[in-house]
Amino acid sequence: MDYAEHYQTVSTDLPGHSLSWLQALRTRANIDFSTSGFPSPREEEWRYTNITPIEKKRFTPKVSAGDPSAAAELIQHHRLDDTWSLVFVDGVYSAGHSRLTGLPESIQILPISEALERYPEKVHTMLQQAADCETHGFIAFNTAYFRDGAFIVIPDKQVPERPIQLLHVSTQAEGLSVLRHLISLGIHAQATVIETYVGEKETACLTAAVTEIDLAANAHLDHYKLQNESDRTFHFGGIYSDQKASARFRQNHAAFGGLMARTEIHSHLGQAAECDLDGLFLASGRRHLDTHTILRHHGAHAVSRESYRGIASERGRGVFSGRIVVDPQAQKTDAEMNNRNLLLSDDAEIDSKPQLEIHADDVKCAHGVTVGQLSAESIFYLQSRGIDEASARNMLTFAFANEMVEKIRHDGHRQQVRDALLANLPQTDVRGDWL
Amino acid sequence: MSATSETLENIIHKEYKPGFVTDLESDTFPPGLNEDVIRAISGKKNEPEFMLQWRLDAYRHWLTMTEPTWAYVNYESVNYQSISYYSAPKVKEGPKNLNEVDPKLLETYKKLGIPLYEQERLAGVAVDAVFDSVSVATTFKDKLASAGVIFCSMSEAIKEHPELVRQYLGTVVPTSDNFFAALNSAVFSDGSFVYIPKGVRCPMELSTYFRINAANTGQFERTLIIAEEGSHVSYLEGCTAPMRDENQLHAAVVELVALDHAEIKYSTVQNWYPGDEEGRGGIYNFVTKRGDCRGRQSKISWTQVETGSAITWKYPSCILRGEESVGEFYSVAVTNHCQQADTGTKMIHIGKNTRSTIISKGISAGRAQNTYRGQVKILKSAENARNYTQCDSLLIGDRCGAHTFPYIEVKQPSAQLEHEATTSKISEDQLFFCQQRGLSAEDAVSMIVNGFCKQVFKELPMEFAVEAQALLGISLEGSVG
Amino acid sequence: MLSIKNLQARVEDKAILKGISLEVKPGEVHAIMGPNGSGKSTLSHVLAGRSGYEVTGGSVTYQGKDLLDMKPEERAREGVFLAFQYPVEIPGVSNIYLLKAALNAIRKHRGDSEVDAMDFLPMVKARIKSLNLDEQFLYRGVNEGFSGGEKKRNEILQMAILEPSLCILDETDSGLDIDALKIVADGVNALRSPDRSFIMVTHYQRLLDYIKPDVVHVLAQGRIVKSGGPELAHELEEKGYGWIDQGATA
Repeated sequence: MDYAEHYQTVSTDLPGHSLSWLQALRTRANIDFSTSGFPSPREEEWRYTNITPIEKKRFTPKVSAGDPSAAAELIQHHRLDDTWSLVFVDGVYSAGHSRLTGLPESIQILPISEALERYPEKVHTMLQQAADCETHGFIAFNTAYFRDGAFIVIPDKQVPERPIQLLHVSTQAEGLSVLRHLISLGIHAQATVIETYVGEKETACLTAAVTEIDLAANAHLDHYKLQNESDRTFHFGGIYSDQKASARFRQNHAAFGGLMARTEIHSHLGQAAECDLDGLFLASGRRHLDTHTILRHHGAHAVSRESYRGIASERGRGVFSGRIVVDPQAQKTDAEMNNRNLLLSDDAEIDSKPQLEIHADDVKCAHGVTVGQLSAESIFYLQSRGIDEASARNMLTFAFANEMVEKIRHDGHRQQVRDALLANLPQTDVRGDWL
Repeated sequence: MSATSETLENIIHKEYKPGFVTDLESDTFPPGLNEDVIRAISGKKNEPEFMLQWRLDAYRHWLTMTEPTWAYVNYESVNYQSISYYSAPKVKEGPKNLNEVDPKLLETYKKLGIPLYEQERLAGVAVDAVFDSVSVATTFKDKLASAGVIFCSMSEAIKEHPELVRQYLGTVVPTSDNFFAALNSAVFSDGSFVYIPKGVRCPMELSTYFRINAANTGQFERTLIIAEEGSHVSYLEGCTAPMRDENQLHAAVVELVALDHAEIKYSTVQNWYPGDEEGRGGIYNFVTKRGDCRGRQSKISWTQVETGSAITWKYPSCILRGEESVGEFYSVAVTNHCQQADTGTKMIHIGKNTRSTIISKGISAGRAQNTYRGQVKILKSAENARNYTQCDSLLIGDRCGAHTFPYIEVKQPSAQLEHEATTSKISEDQLFFCQQRGLSAEDAVSMIVNGFCKQVFKELPMEFAVEAQALLGISLEGSVG
Repeated sequence: MLSIKNLQARVEDKAILKGISLEVKPGEVHAIMGPNGSGKSTLSHVLAGRSGYEVTGGSVTYQGKDLLDMKPEERAREGVFLAFQYPVEIPGVSNIYLLKAALNAIRKHRGDSEVDAMDFLPMVKARIKSLNLDEQFLYRGVNEGFSGGEKKRNEILQMAILEPSLCILDETDSGLDIDALKIVADGVNALRSPDRSFIMVTHYQRLLDYIKPDVVHVLAQGRIVKSGGPELAHELEEKGYGWIDQGATA
């Protein structure tokens, strides 16, 4: 029985199954998915990431809520104290672990499963607005299957006191977690949202999370994501944002975990919108980490900056693909993309595909890519200060990555990303307590 | 639209000078393609049996292939049965010398600025002229022969040097390489053949002028250049065609082989008919060019100035197999009106200490689409490989597109690779500055564009550089106003 | 302290050092002067163990040990410090981190315990103040975006913290204005002691106005062609290097 057939048996258990519009949407998505399947490496956008191993396995969604104490330690460790948090265990919302005390009534932060009961019309207007099932099979799969996720609505001019954390924990072997997060910021609203994905050691599972973001004029969202799932996990994450005039979207993505993981970040930039994308991946072990961005400059005068760093060590493979599209009317676009990579071992590989697709003439667009190794001069300088070569290499590797970590404005999240970085360095003799 | 952009809009209108048709009696096959046509082509050329078999194998493979669709170009697909696969100026027998060549043909080349009489030629350039499907004249053959250099048409090479052809043909671009290469292998009618023996520095520049004349014909030429150990050759290629309302297909294959310490410099000025302002007519230029640096410290350098053709699909590439071998790609691609170009290169690093440089300049005007597509692949064996890539695009007018699609794949940790790309337009400040200093808008644009392309032009042999600059001016005429 | 005997070294196929001999006693300050290309910087790089140089003859004994046999970090831990002519920028590694890592590596080598954080910061802050640097400087990437003068002062700061026995200053005065030069010289002078030696490599005499050498050597075409007291430096300043070169080729 394949996923599409399997859908028939679970569809009535999925949230919102009594809503006819959602049923129709899910059924159509399931048809789309059964026609396209998961993306194949024959598709240009997937040429460096072959996910056929996912097709060979059959992951199943969690049926019961399970043991709430299962992931307690992981949750304890990763839940950020100064945030309002929604916690999901194996793709299902866990009220017991979530922290929403003191949330003002004007701001809506709740699981989508609940939002479908309380605000079905609002969900209807937001779902499938920034993400499109036709992009590829994963989005269709997510739309058909999503079991839970976050629903965040910040009305005009509101600025929540606290950042919002969406913490996902995988605990179940062969488990399938399908999450759909919806985030909407009104005019002049501001918020910080942190998505954290972690898992129990050695858990082989599939996480498919799609986040749709709608930013009204002059809204400002700082969005962070840490993907640090277990070594055997498959992770697909899609972040799709729609920026209206002068909206600002800043995204920082850090990927360390999983066996094969891909995060897509797409944004559609309206007039004078600003978009900053930063990211880091460290593909160690046998990991395959793929970061894939598409920025579409749709309005004039928009500015985008992208800066991604990648490290591939051991048998790891790092993939970066970044595309900037400038529509004909998007005059005065200012777009820059930068991708720097370190290749640290004989069996590692880096693939980079920066792309510019430009249909307007009065633009300033540039991209740069480097692939190389640590500078011999820097290694010697550190050696001449008494530091042995292996430590010097490690220190420089850490430094290369840490520059991206430093860009994170939220202290707690920055600390978590840095801990994950230190834990994943080839050898860790960089002293976290000295930093 | 501001005054300067209007100026920009107006700078692109000039006639395609080489667009005349030569009225000539020719021997042309009826349209259509099947095994009999291939046998007939092979028969016309009195080819040895191995060539016929080679062609038929390629044809049979081609039948299993589909036309590639990944390039950023849009065109009505070609009906391969409506094309004539062979056309040659009618002669009783092959010309023994220039005096036997049809005077109309000589006139054609003269009009194109390519006099075939050696005394009229600038000293130091030998020419092979290919008219439709066949080579009509090769100059300076004797002088070259005395240096041991073989420079002749491909048909002649197949007859006179079958052992060399057999040893090298299809070893760089296999018959099954891609759709257009397979088609070319089946039906190619002529082209140039160059063999530089060991240690010889070719005493003059070699050049081929390709001319499509007949209507409804495809041109499928095949070029093979072999540079033996320690040899050196510089080869130039020029292309023109008459103005016709129909699209015509040009699917060439060029193979270069450089052995130890050998160096091949291959320069192209491609000015096939680009179609009219509305996108009617023009050449479909689907070309496979690849160089194989087989030897240690060998070097292959591609320089191209692409101003013509309605559709360009072309990626001159280097396989850097030999240790310390060097690959270079310098390109200026200009698209105007409705032209579409998807061009770039592949640098495949296999040997240790191999180096490659890519400099690409794309200029897009009118409603044209100009795409750079390039791959740099560093295999695990390529220790200390180096690549530097720079791709710049210049946009003239707000209805055109410029795209950059590089592919970077690195499997060797000691490799170093750097890629930079920019897209910009001629700024109104730059234009105004030049105008304020007394230059006309046309001259200002021409000056700025030439400056933009300088890095590539300086790689061209002197004579070609002048031609390329002039061509650039013509191609962009009317793009500024 | 340091005994160099007939040291010869080359880069690729080019011989740069053609037999240098030099004795440096504890507490001494030696200045090595010479025109561009005379081998001054090569000498400091060879002493610090930079790769890319091949020692083709001679020996270097440092505190009774074969210096050339040690890796660069071992030399540093044994107390050899090179102040770079062009200090390397290392974005992402903070100055304070480097200082801690280096100091602890050296202390470990000597069998001492790691430096206590309570002692470390005040010690660094005191040094930083005397070099007229801002405290924020400690938390910036090593030399990242520093001016020429800041980079040189940072080298002296590291030297002060790591307390080496032999300090090699490679063209430390190059690119400094007179005020910066004074600060750097004061920093060096503060570190002079009876058991610490200095080798100052320089093209110009002006550094020697601020740091008084005991011995001046003139290097030309890979050999020491003349040695003498501080007055030799003045002589060079007046006459230039022309007469030295002639002497060397003759």
